[in-house]
Amino acid sequence: MLEKLMDIDRRIIFILVVLAVIIPTLLPINLPISVSAPTRQLHDYINALPAGSTIMLAFDYGPASLAELNPMAKALLKQCFDKDVRVIGITLAPEGTAMGSTLIQEIADETGAIDGEDYVFLGYRPGEELVILGMGSDIASVFETDYNGKPLADIPMMTNVTNYDQISLLIDLASGSSTEIWITYANVRYNLQIAAGVTGVIISQMYPYLQTGQLIGLISGIAGAAEYETLLDAPAKGILWINIESFVHLLIAGLVVIGNIAFFVQRRKEE
Amino acid sequence: MRRQVPLILCFVFGVVMMLTQFSPHSFSQGIYEEVLSWALIISPFMLVLGTVTLIQTHVARIRRRTEHWQYSFIIFAGILLMVVIGIPFGPQHPIFVWLFNNVQVPMDATMFSLLAFFIASAAYRAFRARTFEASLLLVTALIVMLGNVPIGDLFWNTVLSGLPWDNGLSDTKQWILDNPNLSARRGIILGVSLGAISQSIRILLGIERSYLGGGD
Amino acid sequence: MEVFGIWVAAFLTLCIYSFLYRDNPFYRFAEYLFVGVSVGYVFVLTTHQGFIPLAWKPFWAAITGESLIGLIKLIPICIGLLFFTRFSTQHQWLVRYPIAILIGAGSGLAIPNVLRANIFEQTRGTIEPFAAIHAGTLSAGEIFGAILMVIGVVCTLTYFFFSIEHRGPIKWVSKVGIAFLMIGFGSAFGNTVMGRVALLIQRVDFLLNDWGGTIF
Repeated sequence: MLEKLMDIDRRIIFILVVLAVIIPTLLPINLPISVSAPTRQLHDYINALPAGSTIMLAFDYGPASLAELNPMAKALLKQCFDKDVRVIGITLAPEGTAMGSTLIQEIADETGAIDGEDYVFLGYRPGEELVILGMGSDIASVFETDYNGKPLADIPMMTNVTNYDQISLLIDLASGSSTEIWITYANVRYNLQIAAGVTGVIISQMYPYLQTGQLIGLISGIAGAAEYETLLDAPAKGILWINIESFVHLLIAGLVVIGNIAFFVQRRKEE
Repeated sequence: MRRQVPLILCFVFGVVMMLTQFSPHSFSQGIYEEVLSWALIISPFMLVLGTVTLIQTHVARIRRRTEHWQYSFIIFAGILLMVVIGIPFGPQHPIFVWLFNNVQVPMDATMFSLLAFFIASAAYRAFRARTFEASLLLVTALIVMLGNVPIGDLFWNTVLSGLPWDNGLSDTKQWILDNPNLSARRGIILGVSLGAISQSIRILLGIERSYLGGGD
Repeated sequence: MEVFGIWVAAFLTLCIYSFLYRDNPFYRFAEYLFVGVSVGYVFVLTTHQGFIPLAWKPFWAAITGESLIGLIKLIPICIGLLFFTRFSTQHQWLVRYPIAILIGAGSGLAIPNVLRANIFEQTRGTIEPFAAIHAGTLSAGEIFGAILMVIGVVCTLTYFFFSIEHRGPIKWVSKVGIAFLMIGFGSAFGNTVMGRVALLIQRVDFLLNDWGGTIF
C-alpha cells in the first residue's frame, strides 16, 4: 500500500494540480490579503511624490514572466497616472518592447493618460549596463527617439528631462539579473532611487539590497501584485490569481507532507 | 596580432574606463562618454554571433540527419517568418505584433508553466527531510509557500485564533526573508562579487584569456 | 483575426501541455517553432532598436555630410563589422577585437561599481545596525536580528572559504553557514513555487476564459 503510494504515476499528480487550478478558477473566492512592508514602502513612496514628478518604469522581462509582472505593471501605471506622476517606459529585454508598449497603451486608454504628456515609451536598446550608464549622462544619447520614432526633443514631458537627475524613481520589473545591474550602475554612480517588482524566483536575493536602502521598495511576485492591488483598492488579476494559487500551494504542501510521512514509515519498517 | 592586440585592447579599454570612474574632470568624462557610445554601437553587432551559431548548429543537424533533424526546418521557418515581416516593416507592424502576441507569448509562457507540474511531482517524490539541513530547507519552503498565499493566514487566524498574534504565517515568512535569508544571500553576494572583481582583474591583466577562444 | 489569434495561441498552448502525457511530435513542433520565432524576434528588435538607431543612423548622417562629427562613429562601426568575420574560417580570429573591447570596457566599469554596490554597501548594511544599537534606537527584536545577521553573513562566508581546511571550530562555523544557506534556499524554493504556479494559472485562465469565451 505504502509502496504504491510512493510510486504513484506522476500524471496523477499533474491531474491534481490542474484540478487545483481549474476548480477555483471556475468558482472564485476572495480571501483577505495582508500587505507586506516592502510593498507598502513602494506604494507610499509613489504616493508621496509631488504631481508632475517623473519616474522610469523598466519592463525587463519576457512572456515567461508576464503572469507575475504584468499585474504589478498595471497597478503601478494606474497609481502613477491617477497621481499625475509621469512615466518613462523602457526595456533592457527585447521581448519587453511589445509587452511594455501594449501595457502602457492599455492603462493609458483606461485612465485617459496622454502619450507624450503623461507617459512616453522609449523602447529597447541592447547593451544593458551600457544603456543604463549612457542614460545617466544623457537619455537622448541612447534613445534619440521614442518607440514610435518621435524625437525626444519634440515630446513635451521630455523637454525638462535630460538624465537621471530629473527622475524621482526607477522601478525595475525584473525576471533576471537586471535589478542588480540597475543598482550597480544607476544607483551607485548616479544616485538614482530604485525599487523593484520581481518574479518569485528572484525575490529572496533582493532582500540584502532592501535592507541597505539600495532598493526603496519591493513587489514580490504575484503575491506582491495582489498586495499592491489591495493597497490601491483596485482588484484585478493579482488578487484573483493569488486566491487560486492558495489551493495549489495547499496541494503541494500536502504532497510534501504525505511524501514524508510515507518515507518515514517505510524507513522505520526497513529498520 | 591575433592574440596580443586583443589583449592590449582589453587592457587599455578596461583601465581607461576604470580610471574614468574616479575622476569627475570634464576630459575624463568626455573619454568615458565617448567609449560608452562606442561600446553601445558595437554591442548590437554581437547578435551575429548568437544567430550564426544557432544556424550552424541546425545546419549540421540536418546534414548529419541526427534524431529529429526534420524539426530544424521549423526553427528556420520561425526565424524567416519573423525576419521577413519584421526587418522591412519594423517591429510595430500589425502582423509582427500579432505573431508575437499569438505565437511567441503563449509558447514562452506555457513552456515555463510546465515547471509547476514538475515542481509538484518533485515535491512529492524527492523533497524529504532526510537530514537536519534538508529538514531546515523543507520547513522553510513550507512556511514561505503557505505564507505567500492568503489561505495560509486564514488557516492561522481560524485554527490558531486563541493566539494573540494574527497573520502568523505571513509574518514568519517575512521574518525569514528579512533575517536568515538576508544573511545567506548577503554571504553569497559578497562571495560572488569578490569572485567577479578578481575575474575582471584577471581579464584586464591578460591572465584569463578564455574569451579569446581557441586557436592562434 | 483576434479570434483566430486566440485559437492559434490555444493550439500552441495545448501542443506544449501535451508533453505532460509524454514527448510527442506536437510538443516538438511547438518547441522548435518557439526557438525559431524567439530568435527571429530578437533579431528584428536588435536590428530596429539597436543597430539602426545606434550604428546606421550616425553612419548615414556622417556619409551624407549631415553631421561630420559622426565620422568618428565609423571607427566603432568598423570594429562592430568585425563580428561578421565569424563567417570566414580564415579571418574569424578578428572577432576577438570587438569582443576584447567590450569585455575590457565592461570589466573596467564593473570593478569600481561592483565593489561599491556589492562589497562596500553590503558590508555597511551588516555593520550599520550596530551603530543604531549603540545609539539605543533599536528594539530587542531588531537587536536580535542585527546579531543574527552578522552571525549568518560570517558563517556563510566561512562555508565558501576554501583556502583552509574545514576542521575544528571552522567546521562548526561553516555548518552554521550551511544552516543559513538551507533557510535561504528553502525560501527561494517557496517563492519559486509561487512564480511557476502563477504562470500555470495565467495559462489556465487564458484557456478557460479567453479561448473558452470564443467557444461558449
